[in-house]
Amino acid sequence: MIRLGQYRPGDTLLHRLDPRVKIVAVVAFSFVIFGATPAEILLLSAFLAAVIAAARMTPEQVMEALRPVTFFLALIFLVHLLFTAGKPLLSLAPLPLRITREGLVRGLYVTWQFAGLVLAAAILTLTTFSYDLVGGIERLLRPLAGVGIPSQDLAVMIAMALRFMPMLLEEYERLRMAQMARGADFTTGGLVLRSRAVVALAVPLLLSAFRRADELALAMEARGYQRGCPRTTLCTFTFARRDLGAFAALAALVIASLGLRIAAS
Amino acid sequence: MIRVENLVYRYEAAGPECLRGVSVEFAEGEHTALIGPNGCGKTTLIKHLNALLFPASGTVCVDGMLTTDVASVREIRRRVGMVFQNPDSQIVGMTVEEDVAFGPGNLALPPAEIRSRVGACLEMVGMTGFEKRAPHTLSGGEKRLLSIAGVLAMNPRYIAFDEPTAYLDAVGRKRILAIIRSLNQGGMAIIHIAHDASDIAAADRVAVMDRGLLLRTGTPSEIFGDAELLTAIGLAGAREERGT
Repeated sequence: MIRLGQYRPGDTLLHRLDPRVKIVAVVAFSFVIFGATPAEILLLSAFLAAVIAAARMTPEQVMEALRPVTFFLALIFLVHLLFTAGKPLLSLAPLPLRITREGLVRGLYVTWQFAGLVLAAAILTLTTFSYDLVGGIERLLRPLAGVGIPSQDLAVMIAMALRFMPMLLEEYERLRMAQMARGADFTTGGLVLRSRAVVALAVPLLLSAFRRADELALAMEARGYQRGCPRTTLCTFTFARRDLGAFAALAALVIASLGLRIAAS
Repeated sequence: MIRVENLVYRYEAAGPECLRGVSVEFAEGEHTALIGPNGCGKTTLIKHLNALLFPASGTVCVDGMLTTDVASVREIRRRVGMVFQNPDSQIVGMTVEEDVAFGPGNLALPPAEIRSRVGACLEMVGMTGFEKRAPHTLSGGEKRLLSIAGVLAMNPRYIAFDEPTAYLDAVGRKRILAIIRSLNQGGMAIIHIAHDASDIAAADRVAVMDRGLLLRTGTPSEIFGDAELLTAIGLAGAREERGT
């Protein structure tokens, strides 16, 4: 069974923070990390390290968070390393490729940016219950209702998508087992045979997903859900002093980062 | 009182009639069992009771409100709860408590009231302590209990159960039937689709359907005493099971 839902129960400062503060922090961090100067890199790295420590994440948990994107990070690094013009450091003859100093620096920089983004998002999901996360997004989008953005419906849609994923995985397992019981083999054979087996699985899975979506929509209606109608939730957020402190720290980070950028330009 | 009069329904405009002029009443506090062979229209009928389906002709009236009156739909869905056959189709929350809170949230109740209902309904079905569990980690029987709690949180007057004991073991069946009985004893009207004779022993009234028609209503003893009727609709086995 594939494990879903990264949230790890805990009682760290990060766990206790209002989800709205954490969401705003991730968005702000995403903005400042792009275009960061070398001095900003040090500042943002130190901030990220402090947040990881505050969340009491172990090195194993940090690596686990990065594992799903390892291939993507390696690809970004290699593309920049091998295809950036500049002062050659190493030739890869007979291949028409060479590693340049600029490529190495650029590769490390871009890989650091993406790894930082992934870690920030991972800290958010590790320390925020999915329900609070969706509630936080809804509350933050609520002021946009005036310009026609239905924050409550968007929150329900996100929650449904999160609910749907384990359902689809369960269905996938059921179909796979049912087909294996009737002789299907997904692990051996050539590419053509394996592709056929996957298609045989994908079609019923897709049909099942449509059927489940219909049933879920009916169940929501049966329990009084009507798009566009006001609704309430269990979530009650209170903006505590610690949230104010976290918000001030975030503001200081953004101002310092922008200050360093202006100074460097 | 839910009053169904001459209800006709087709899933496709030019398709066959799934319900062919059904007229039946479900009184407050009454426990009615709906029986009949697969495909006879039982589920289609109960989907009309909380305005999930609308009649092609005829009417469905819940406590004086027509299901075709758009302004009444929300209140009708509050008054008539629906427990689907497959709990996976009904659970919409990412956690147990969030799922139970979904219906009261749609009624725009204050968070404190929602929390109080969530606690009370989970206790009622014996699921206190499961609040933070993800629904996909629950067993089939627990999912069934959760789907009942989710409906109870709407504080309905009537609950329609679509084969609530299907696929459950003996212990699970007993537990669900005990909950249904206790709800009914508390004054809740129950409309209960069942195939198993033992499931409907506690019903006040049994309505028999076949091929889109309501054939007959009567007490469980009257219905299970009518061998000819049960044979005609292919439920003779249910009679033997009941030991009539």
